[in-house]
Amino acid sequence: MTPEHTALQRPMGAHMPVSGGLHTSLIAGKAIGCTAVQLFTANPRQWQNAPLSGDAVRAFREAQEATGVRFVCAHASYLINLAAANEVLERSRDAFRAELERARQLEIPWVVVHPGAHAGQREDDAMAHLIESLQRILEETDAQHNPVGIALETTAGQGSTLGWRFEQIGAVLQALGKHPRLGACMDTCHIFAAGYDLRDAASYAATMAAFDAHIGIEHLKVIHANDSKKPLGSRVDRHAHIGAGEIGAQGFVPLLQDARLASVPVLLETPEARKMHAINLQRLRCLADGQPLEVQVTVLFFGHYRDYYPAPCVLMVPYGATVRELAEQLAAQDVRLSDLLQYCRFAMDTEYVTPDSALVSDCELAVLPPVSGG
Amino acid sequence: MAEVRIVTTPIAIEPLQHYVATTACGAVCLFVGQTRNHSRGRSVRFLEYDAYIPMAERELLRVAETAEARWNCRVAIAHRIGRVEVGEASVAIAVGAAHRAEAFEACRYCIDTLKQDVPIWKREMYAEGACWIEGDRVVGSS
Ligand SMILES: [Zn+2]
Repeated sequence: MTPEHTALQRPMGAHMPVSGGLHTSLIAGKAIGCTAVQLFTANPRQWQNAPLSGDAVRAFREAQEATGVRFVCAHASYLINLAAANEVLERSRDAFRAELERARQLEIPWVVVHPGAHAGQREDDAMAHLIESLQRILEETDAQHNPVGIALETTAGQGSTLGWRFEQIGAVLQALGKHPRLGACMDTCHIFAAGYDLRDAASYAATMAAFDAHIGIEHLKVIHANDSKKPLGSRVDRHAHIGAGEIGAQGFVPLLQDARLASVPVLLETPEARKMHAINLQRLRCLADGQPLEVQVTVLFFGHYRDYYPAPCVLMVPYGATVRELAEQLAAQDVRLSDLLQYCRFAMDTEYVTPDSALVSDCELAVLPPVSGG
Repeated sequence: MAEVRIVTTPIAIEPLQHYVATTACGAVCLFVGQTRNHSRGRSVRFLEYDAYIPMAERELLRVAETAEARWNCRVAIAHRIGRVEVGEASVAIAVGAAHRAEAFEACRYCIDTLKQDVPIWKREMYAEGACWIEGDRVVGSS
């Protein structure tokens, strides 16, 4: 299968905010080119949520019809810990039942949930709680003919979270007899922070071989594509814009071009949704198509250069380009800017940088002639 | 805790002085930079200061906090931007310390480092034309 073909076929999109009602996630997603959308169907930071109104459900289904967004999944509340020991366990189970019920009403096929945290229990006990929670809830919802699937998300292994080793997720699937409504969600930032590299063909192949051995590629239902602010194996979960983190733009290519995953939906969960989702989505599509990536830089001029360029200039430079290369590009465009490297200092996002610093995606680069304050 | 500010109206010096003058202070050193009516033989009508404001605020804070840590003192800095008339204050630095030696040294460090690193530029406006001042260089239209 050609890369162009995969990019066309696979639903791709982002976790979208639901500012004006659940259906607005689909409309806003469609507007930036999403063919897949993930959303919270309730406030993810509170336990109690009012049931969905008939109007909300109708508006959502109509929006899905109208926008043609092909894949929708819900992300469960952050509070839910299906592996908890104490009173949080029953609360979590109830909240998760409500997640599955809302998804059923909205005709959302998958709810993504984090496997939880042991929070001081023995890991085996926490795993047993998680398995029991899922078993009960799957049985109940099977009986109710609720078709919504549960996708267990790989985690970064921050704190006492479970699911950062593929073995842990595999063990849950195994214990539940590979229930057809149970699957996995792979988050690139999380697995990278957990120690699974994917930045080149060889490391990606090894990571996917481990995934296949412990979980099974056929159980992978959703991919979260996020770059990572923290290094490989840091076990710290900090999402970065595509190409602006430790994975790097090219680090997504093996995954996006893996023919075995060609139909698995890919969703962004990167910061600054409103400003950046469209840009990150564009980057994923370029990388999936094997096209070179460019980064956007906003250049601000000061001192006498302000007479030439009173407004910020937005430039595209090749991915990985340095401040020096940008200065050379500016000099080639305008002879009045030919002395920048000798005469000026530079700041990226308000910090002084050397000319050899690589330009970070979507940064603000300031050209600073010698200062004269005081 | 240092206090730094970039302002567009005349600098109020007394609040800076009060801010740094704790009861542990034996000395308050105050530096005020003001604009001259002449520069390099030309008569200056007024000045215009321009800044990369978010970075200038961060750099000012860095200068003030470094001084506070090094000389165990308290620092307040205000820098004016926009149009500044001749004879008005463009910058004021107040340092409160236990003894005068630290207060003088910290104050000197602040103004010297500010003039080196804080992204602020002045433009001298003459009867005819104007020039940017960039370090030691005079650049501009006339
Ligand atoms: Zn995720």
